[in-house]
Amino acid sequence: MNNAVLWYATRGAGAVSLVLLSAVVVLGILSVLRVQTTGWPRFLTVGLHRNLALMTLVFLTLHIVTAVVDPFTHLGWLAAVVPFSSYYRTFWLGLGTIAFELLLAIVLTSLVRGFIGQAAWRLLHWLTYAAWPFAVLHGVGTGTDAWSAWLFTLQAFCVIAVLAAIGYRFMTGSRDPLADARSSFQGAVDRREPR
Amino acid sequence: MEIKDTTQERVQARDAAMRLLNRLTTGAAVSAVAGVALLGAFSAYTIPGTTSSSTASTSTTASSSSSTSTSSGLQSSTTPVTSSSSSGVAVSGGSR
Repeated sequence: MNNAVLWYATRGAGAVSLVLLSAVVVLGILSVLRVQTTGWPRFLTVGLHRNLALMTLVFLTLHIVTAVVDPFTHLGWLAAVVPFSSYYRTFWLGLGTIAFELLLAIVLTSLVRGFIGQAAWRLLHWLTYAAWPFAVLHGVGTGTDAWSAWLFTLQAFCVIAVLAAIGYRFMTGSRDPLADARSSFQGAVDRREPR
Repeated sequence: MEIKDTTQERVQARDAAMRLLNRLTTGAAVSAVAGVALLGAFSAYTIPGTTSSSTASTSTTASSSSSTSTSSGLQSSTTPVTSSSSSGVAVSGGSR
């Protein structure tokens, strides 16, 4: 295969991975907020979140493999596994390695969620909020096309979408499905007990 | 009867949502593959990263008809090289 094709595939797969990861983060936030309508039940958000997360791993693998096997770069497999071990843009490439490993850990722990328990899974899932900015910074620092108009627009769109979702989450808070039932029960108890 | 209808509606709604999930996942996968190709093409167009060799080969072919090309890329002079035997000229009194 032509070296240039590998390089173009690396850049294309990297950009697609960032878009997919951003969509996964946004869907994850929406699923926490229990967003649903008549035609869009909540399990649809959760299912799409899970499927896109797996898809992100596939395209990230394509991004990494095409970068490593490209004979022009000589990155080596160690740089793909050990953060900050690359000779080329050590810091920025290391951020990408960390983002990939965090995402891998999140997906793997989600697959064995029944074994590790809900609390541990939730704790590990918070790592997503670290993996995403690492991925964005990796794209800005390492990416050949970082300041090209098309990738800059794409990155800006991803950042705005995720920040808007995070802002929406902080504004609305985590919706408790039993909040109404709890408050009405507490009200009934308060009315019954003389003070 | 009413309970049965409600259950039936819920099952149908669930099936419709599952079909939608499958369609969205398939659409996302196809879009992602197309995205890699499209964005790869964009990146190739904006920053190709390679130099075109066709220009160099064309110029070499064109010049080979008029002059002799050597393997090192140097061309022989079309005018004969002559030696000069005139005396040297001393220059002095130069200033800033």
